[in-house]
Amino acid sequence: MDFSHYAPLWGEALLTALAVLVVLLGSLMKDSGKLMGYLSAAGIVAALAIVANTLTISKPAIFFFDTVSVDALSQFFKAVFLIVSLLVVIASLSKYTGKGADVYYALLLFATVGMMVVASSVDLVTLFVGFELASLSTYALAAFDKSKKNLEAAMKYFIFGSVSSAFMLFGFSLLYGMTGSTKLADIAAASLGNFGPATLVALLFVIAGFAFKMALVPFHMWAPDTYEGAPALVSAMLAAGSKKMGFAAAFRVLLIGLIALRMEWYLAFAILAAVTMTLGNLAACWQDNVRRILAYSSIAQAGYIAIGFVVVGAAYGAAPVTAFNGLAVPAAQLGIAGALLLILGHALMKTGAFIGTAQVASMVSASSEKDPDDISNYAGLAQRAPITAFCMLIFMFALAGIPPTAGYIGKFVLFSSAIYSGLLWLAVIAILNSALSLVYYLRIISYMYLKEPAGPKVSEPKGYVVALVLTLIAVVWIGVFPQSFVDWALQAAAVLLPQ
Amino acid sequence: MIANAISLMIIVPLIGALVSFFAGSKAKFVALLASLIPLVLSLQMYMEFDKTSKIMQFVESYNWVPTLGVKYTVGVDGIGFPLLFLSTIVTVLVIIYSWGETKKPNQYFALLLLNEVGVLGVFTALDFFLFYIFWEIVLIPMFFLIGSWGGPRKDYAAIKFFIYTHVASLVMLLAIFALYFTYQLPDGSRTFDMLTLLQATSDKTIFPTSLLNIIFAGLLLGFLVKMPAFPFHTWLPDAHVEAPTAGSVVLAALLLKMGGYGLFRVIMPMLPNVDKAFVTIIAIIAVLSIVYGAFMALAQKDIKKLVAYSSVSHMGFVTLGAVAFTWMSIQGAMFQQFSHGIITCVLFMSAGTIQHVVGTRVIADLGGLADRMPKFAVLMMAGFMASLGLPGMSGFVAEFMVLTGSYPTLPTYTIIVVFLSVATTAAYHLWAMQKAMFGPILKKYMNVHDPHSYELFSMAMIIVLTLIFGIQPGLITDMMGTAATQLMEPVVTLTQMGVI
Repeated sequence: MDFSHYAPLWGEALLTALAVLVVLLGSLMKDSGKLMGYLSAAGIVAALAIVANTLTISKPAIFFFDTVSVDALSQFFKAVFLIVSLLVVIASLSKYTGKGADVYYALLLFATVGMMVVASSVDLVTLFVGFELASLSTYALAAFDKSKKNLEAAMKYFIFGSVSSAFMLFGFSLLYGMTGSTKLADIAAASLGNFGPATLVALLFVIAGFAFKMALVPFHMWAPDTYEGAPALVSAMLAAGSKKMGFAAAFRVLLIGLIALRMEWYLAFAILAAVTMTLGNLAACWQDNVRRILAYSSIAQAGYIAIGFVVVGAAYGAAPVTAFNGLAVPAAQLGIAGALLLILGHALMKTGAFIGTAQVASMVSASSEKDPDDISNYAGLAQRAPITAFCMLIFMFALAGIPPTAGYIGKFVLFSSAIYSGLLWLAVIAILNSALSLVYYLRIISYMYLKEPAGPKVSEPKGYVVALVLTLIAVVWIGVFPQSFVDWALQAAAVLLPQ
Repeated sequence: MIANAISLMIIVPLIGALVSFFAGSKAKFVALLASLIPLVLSLQMYMEFDKTSKIMQFVESYNWVPTLGVKYTVGVDGIGFPLLFLSTIVTVLVIIYSWGETKKPNQYFALLLLNEVGVLGVFTALDFFLFYIFWEIVLIPMFFLIGSWGGPRKDYAAIKFFIYTHVASLVMLLAIFALYFTYQLPDGSRTFDMLTLLQATSDKTIFPTSLLNIIFAGLLLGFLVKMPAFPFHTWLPDAHVEAPTAGSVVLAALLLKMGGYGLFRVIMPMLPNVDKAFVTIIAIIAVLSIVYGAFMALAQKDIKKLVAYSSVSHMGFVTLGAVAFTWMSIQGAMFQQFSHGIITCVLFMSAGTIQHVVGTRVIADLGGLADRMPKFAVLMMAGFMASLGLPGMSGFVAEFMVLTGSYPTLPTYTIIVVFLSVATTAAYHLWAMQKAMFGPILKKYMNVHDPHSYELFSMAMIIVLTLIFGIQPGLITDMMGTAATQLMEPVVTLTQMGVI
């Protein structure tokens, strides 16, 4: 058997093997937590290198009886997941070193593999398996510190997650019943219009299932509680990685499998996007817990990203009437590219921000009754932990879309695509929301920089600092030199559109 | 000729900001050096500047994000150069004025330099993408200057300033998108090039009046809020009252000018092609700003708030001169930008010095300070005289040109301004001066004395500049005249100029 044929998938294979190895070694060796962390980091870097090899693959490579596709889009998402996972592992090196750390790293690796499978799958069953692999791993991770809050967060996350999986699976089963296939290409080829209301039911369940993962209003209830209660680094993984998996799946299923129903889901996403960003931003203004603020901000960001779907629905199939730099780019492609850029940017910014909250929480003494994530702990952070504060400052500005950062580029392309496809109303709502979001981002900033310190200067753990600074560089780099990222996103977006 | 002079001017303060952030107590020396280099460069540019040429000068253009049609293009003409010159002068003088700053001086000077980066970028950028980035960058240092070094309600003022002006910028961004997506270059590609897009707005087949009206309104809002013009001025008094002196100076002298610059660079080339009702609307806003600002200033108890409202009033002249659209009024409006930029420095520095010498800015609590602070009193008096429009100083020339130039096209509005604001302006200046500085000295102020020499030096330098440009306005109005001629003709793009 020729394994070199599967070269583009070696990354997944490597991480799976590594995860098993980490558990095995961990049970054999004592106090090996740190070593397992380094092993995992090395494995992720290797997987990243494998993915980087096929980053801009022009012709999709199909594997396993047309169920797994390696193309520019899948590689884009895989790169995002691996980067998030790498940053989380680096930060975790300062926290998870003791007993049981091997399990933690193994779960992180399994979750990453699950997300990567979702990114590549062009078949509903494969997709579901990847989805569940990632979800089950993160359910366990959410309870990893075993505090009361952890358990509550994990329980909520588990119940909501299971229900959403059930929804999704039910939707998938209806699609299978109607079309006789689980392959997205076959579903797209079948004339779904003949099945009347059943298609709408299927669509509803599929969207609901994805919307839970993406945390779109009204399926967002679990997100603030879970992001607040789970260990901070796991929250980073959930908000930056797992959530994006929902988008990866939704892009494939809706834009390839269910493109015939675009007028239906276009409307659904238009409403979901507008409501999600508005409610997310409004709710964030009233929170005092920074992780809840970040959770609502990530809900709002999901609302922005969902604009990508609306743009596709509005402009799908329209002839490319424009050219950028001589290259024809239809509005739909620009919309997806904008969404992808925001996904990339948001993954980085949110990972960084949650690592920052982990740092602050570690500064609050364990005996204190106080909520470790309360905003009052951020008072004078600029003097207590200058590097963390500065990185958080840039992430907050980036999340608010202030140039020149990754958040700005993502919003810039996405909102401009909305205008381009004639969705002025949506662009106006998004822009107003963007301004509204400044209220709570500036609030965090003013606590960190304008208030008197809440305690003495502390030393910042190395792992956190490395992860934060790496994220900071990436966020600013994308903002200052966006060219290659814009091209990359456009190329990934092209996968979803008919050539 | 220095290659890449403009980029150098933008990069030097940026590096200076980084260095002074890590320089601790030496930050002020770094800051002074990093702000002197752009000043020297701008003087050099002034020497080389061709005042009669209608084309963009010192142009640099590089591809940045070719896929989106974004370029890094900078250059100056008679509209941009005076403000670039103003920015480099004011930054140096503000840094000298703040020489004694002891609270986190490294961050303080770094922010002043970062601010210079932003404003220089705004006044030179010729690509909307680049322009918008600089436009937004300016908010960050000002937010921290107000928020960290400000008065009792600093948090509120800083956040209000940031959000208010950011909303306006976002509206402007939407309008920029609309320009971008409506116009295609002959080869079908898109561009953010400002001059190309602005020239295209005169083509009715590409930009029908109905569409252009909306775009125009969005851009106009962005600039009027920044100026600020009545009724979008409400962020300004809060920001000024809470900001530290240097913050106020930079805010009034440079940040407000960004709005005025936008009027000349973007709004005026579009004005002939939009609905004529806009002229009336803008003229009414201008007159209201002038008159309302003057009356509000008259009613203030806090001398700094008085100066803040006087800015609203004076910036109204810029709007009026711009919308009157005659050669003289445009030139006068541009000169008013420059002139108000320097004069307002003295006013805010005076208010700041009174605050830290006496401990209060409430006019009613002051009195007879001239007795103990003679040098300061002379400079402050000169500044107030310049601001109320004493002939021989730059303010007079500018306002005279605006009023004379506006009369032929907007006679009614001009007469309203003359009748309602000229006397009021004189009144509030003189009243504040008289009450605060002259009369019998109050007992509790027997121990006050002249401020530090570096503060007096900065103020004196500005008075000298006011006199120079008051007596010999041609030094800077020549190039403004060329720009005004240019504004009354269709826009010429960089390609047509043969610059790129």
